[in-house]
Amino acid sequence: MHEMSLVQALLTQLTSLAAEHDKKKVITVTLTIGPLSGVVIDSFQFGFDILSAESNLTKGARLIITSPTVSYHCVRCGSIQTAAMRPDHCPECSETLLIAEGGDAIILNQVEME
Amino acid sequence: MCDSCGCDLASNNHSHDTDSRIIEVHQSLLAANDAMAARNKAHFEAMGAVAINMISSPGSGKTTLLEKTIERLKKKIRIGVIEGDIETDRDAQRIRAKGVPVIQLTTGGACHLDAAQVHKGIHLLEKEPGGARLDLLFIENVGNLVCPATFDLGEHQRVVLVSVPEGPDKPAKYPKAFISSQIFLITKTDLLPYFDFPVTEARREALHLNPRLQVMALSATSGEGFEAWISYLEGLTGKTRKDNFPPLLSQS
Ligand SMILES: Nc1nc2c(ncn2[C@@H]2O[C@H](COP(=O)(O)OP(=O)(O)OP(=O)(O)O)[C@@H](O)[C@H]2O)c(=O)[nH]1
Ligand SMILES: [Mg+2]
Ligand SMILES: [Zn+2]
Ligand SMILES: [Zn+2]
Repeated sequence: MHEMSLVQALLTQLTSLAAEHDKKKVITVTLTIGPLSGVVIDSFQFGFDILSAESNLTKGARLIITSPTVSYHCVRCGSIQTAAMRPDHCPECSETLLIAEGGDAIILNQVEME
Repeated sequence: MCDSCGCDLASNNHSHDTDSRIIEVHQSLLAANDAMAARNKAHFEAMGAVAINMISSPGSGKTTLLEKTIERLKKKIRIGVIEGDIETDRDAQRIRAKGVPVIQLTTGGACHLDAAQVHKGIHLLEKEPGGARLDLLFIENVGNLVCPATFDLGEHQRVVLVSVPEGPDKPAKYPKAFISSQIFLITKTDLLPYFDFPVTEARREALHLNPRLQVMALSATSGEGFEAWISYLEGLTGKTRKDNFPPLLSQS
């Protein structure tokens, strides 16, 4: 459950953002969690539900998580496929060696606070 | 540079509007870890060391491999070890018995090492006899094939290990560790006669995820396959440190 460590990092960041912008309550938090980030979104949500309830700043805050697609770059012909699942081979030239690009990010995009 | 938003506007004529409800952040949740990892890397290089992060499930043979590696190389290469475990200093005791500087980090429950813990570890290691100048620094991560993969420790090379009894489907099931590593080590090959572990299939699946992965297979018990591992390590220490290591794939 390294998701808990990441939720902790998020809450720390929310606390300092609230102090910096003089806000008292977090309403929504928008995140991007890539399919190759090694983070299970359900576990992240579960951790957030537990830990966010421990402080008035984040109690009841809503998470909006988007998961981007990954680009697969063919090492032979250079063509690029975007897909949710890793393709077995390049549709252009049948090469099986495809390099994943993107999809590993865990980004805090926006916070709505009041 | 503006501390609040990191923008390069030197003038004072942009405000951080405290009335707006939506605050744009667009920063990695791992930003703090990654910044510390970058400091660790500079620290490793100041010590003269190439750092290797070892990731595997519990019991894949990380400590045994380090014991045998130290026996083989310690006369030629200055080796240090940072051990990560949830509890106990047993792995550090095993390494200490081989006569190289070692420190134990216990995470007290956490399932992975992070850059801040390793930073503390570097400072402790430097206080050990011979721990301040090293050629190779091994970081044995907490036994776990999932969580450690997300946390850059500042290492130059990441090695993922799978032992023969675990089965060849591990790359497909736990992709992140394989995508983010440079080396895939299949361990305990002396057990191949007793388990259904087609080495070619494990290799193919791992390369499918990460075509740049270098795959090796060895047994710490019989010594089979050890030469390739040893020459890989010797090659790391022989090169000029700063520029010869490809950046970690998929680190963000
Ligand atoms: N047959 C065989 N057994 C091995 C080999 N390498 C290690 N072992 C055995 O595997 C078991 C676990 O080895 P360790 O080196 O402690 O594994 P580890 O990955 O450090 O374990 P954790 O630190 O707990 O994650 C021990 O009983 C070792 O003797 C090998 O090459 N062949
Ligand atoms: Mg061990
Ligand atoms: Zn975990
Ligand atoms: Zn192609």
